[in-house]
Amino acid sequence: MQDSLRAPGRSLLRRRLKQYRSIYLMILPVLVYFLIFSFYPLILGLIQSLQKERLLGTPQFIGLKNYEALFRDRNFLQALWNSFYIGSTSLVINIMMGTILALSLNELRSRPAKAAVQTVTFLPYLFSWTVVGGVWIYVLSHNGLVNGMLDALGLERVSFFTVPAWGRPVMLFTNAWKQSGYFAVLLLASLVGIDPEVYEAAHIDGASRMQQIGRISLPMMLPTVKTLLLLGATGVLRNFDQVLIMSRPAIKDKVGSVLLFIYEQGILKMKIGLATSAAAVVLLATFLIALAVRKASRYEGSLYD
Amino acid sequence: MTDKKRAPEQLLRNELSPFQKAGNHLLLLLFFLTMIVPMVNVLAVSFSPRLASMQPGVILWPSEWTFNGYQTVWTRANLSRAFFNSSLVSLSGTFAQILLSSMAGYVLVQKNLPFRKALSLLILFTLMIPGDLTLISIYALNKQLGLLNSYQGLIINGLVSGFSILLMRNYFQSVPESLAESARIDKASELRVFFSIYLPLSLPGLASITFLEFVGKWNALMLPVTIISDPALYTLPMVLRQLAFATDSTSGVDYIAPNAQMAAIVISVIPLIILYTFAQRFLIGGLTLGATKG
Repeated sequence: MQDSLRAPGRSLLRRRLKQYRSIYLMILPVLVYFLIFSFYPLILGLIQSLQKERLLGTPQFIGLKNYEALFRDRNFLQALWNSFYIGSTSLVINIMMGTILALSLNELRSRPAKAAVQTVTFLPYLFSWTVVGGVWIYVLSHNGLVNGMLDALGLERVSFFTVPAWGRPVMLFTNAWKQSGYFAVLLLASLVGIDPEVYEAAHIDGASRMQQIGRISLPMMLPTVKTLLLLGATGVLRNFDQVLIMSRPAIKDKVGSVLLFIYEQGILKMKIGLATSAAAVVLLATFLIALAVRKASRYEGSLYD
Repeated sequence: MTDKKRAPEQLLRNELSPFQKAGNHLLLLLFFLTMIVPMVNVLAVSFSPRLASMQPGVILWPSEWTFNGYQTVWTRANLSRAFFNSSLVSLSGTFAQILLSSMAGYVLVQKNLPFRKALSLLILFTLMIPGDLTLISIYALNKQLGLLNSYQGLIINGLVSGFSILLMRNYFQSVPESLAESARIDKASELRVFFSIYLPLSLPGLASITFLEFVGKWNALMLPVTIISDPALYTLPMVLRQLAFATDSTSGVDYIAPNAQMAAIVISVIPLIILYTFAQRFLIGGLTLGATKG
């Protein structure tokens, strides 16, 4: 009874698969690509993190020995902390700057001025870190713009890339310079969608413009802020391009990121075991951070509901 | 009155007080200057003569206009080669990306397709595998496939992104299915339905992924520094990186002066700015969609 029911079902499935053959063919290249360039490297990396690398012969499984060595490596721990510190502080600063810029632009009534400020603040988002880094290395250099301005003001020049204390502020600032305008564009989009009648109603009820900003505009941005936080949380530990360009020996201890550590150990020094286990740790930590931010933002959400 | 929308001008509204308004304008001016002054500085230095660009001080206008910096960096720092490499890799990579990811997106909107959910989940999952964390295995993989130091390697890595697929799927979802059905009744092939109905109706989506993918490939640094060591295959960001390091060392025979370095920066952002002016009107929608549904 069951067999006779299943048999036509199976042939039906086969017929439908056949009917959709050309559709499946359209997604086949993508699937092959992901299999080879996404899933295989992930699994290979996890396996390599449990192996002792050898130049010849089959690699040998050594359990968690690579991880033990990793956590005894002072450079790794410092890099992990640098990444977390710079990544999370940057995310908060950039969202704050983006929010301020979006609210500010939203109050601007002149359309050309609005377009000009928006375009100019958004542009650096399009530039690579090699460009943004190149610009600021020059602008902050000994003969550069900033020191020229300090000179003109009669202040002492600052050597931004050789004083360790300046390392992190420079990274945070250039990060905000590159990203704030992009965040502002996304946040502004959530303000444009607000029905003007909401503001009118608030006005009739006697709310000042500042009160309207605090009670209407700001809460309306909250969903976008949360999305930016959630998306940004997965990138907190993944700062690479910026430090590859802007890190200098004197400040490296303060700004060197964990991805830079992986690149230097794995690609330049061929310490595969150390590098792959570091990557696995970052993967796990990223997952935990994303989970924590998700939990926290849900909780906050219920406060406003 | 409630069901009729009035023009914004007709609505009652209040504004910031003049004092607050002035504060707001000052704040925006501060943002604007912080962004634009370094850019103007870079432009001015790039058009300055070599010696003038090496002087300390605030340069916001060249003392005398010259293309020397551009000539130097284009020929001596081999920027022409890098520009060609970056163009070749970014253009062909973006073209392949558009084709493959829109086809995959089209597959994901077929309502009755067996295993459609599983395919969607698989692609969603690839978004969670950060490519930059599998760097070491990516290097090993490219070595196995003989892709180190090759154009093919630069193009194939990052050929498809789950993000673009899901973005295209979101656009395709708004295409009315009845259109596709009537074409199928007229015996149109799936490829024909895809190319002549779905793609033309999703141009804003195509524009967004074209723009985002091109920018991403043009600016890529991590992958090229991992798989390329042959200077003949250097991409623009790799050459810019070398130049940025050269800023520090003022000695050496091969010293490239600031005017040439800034010229390199200007050259490398020109294609991005041209593309931005074309894609601008599609862009905000694409970015917003990407941030909320990606």
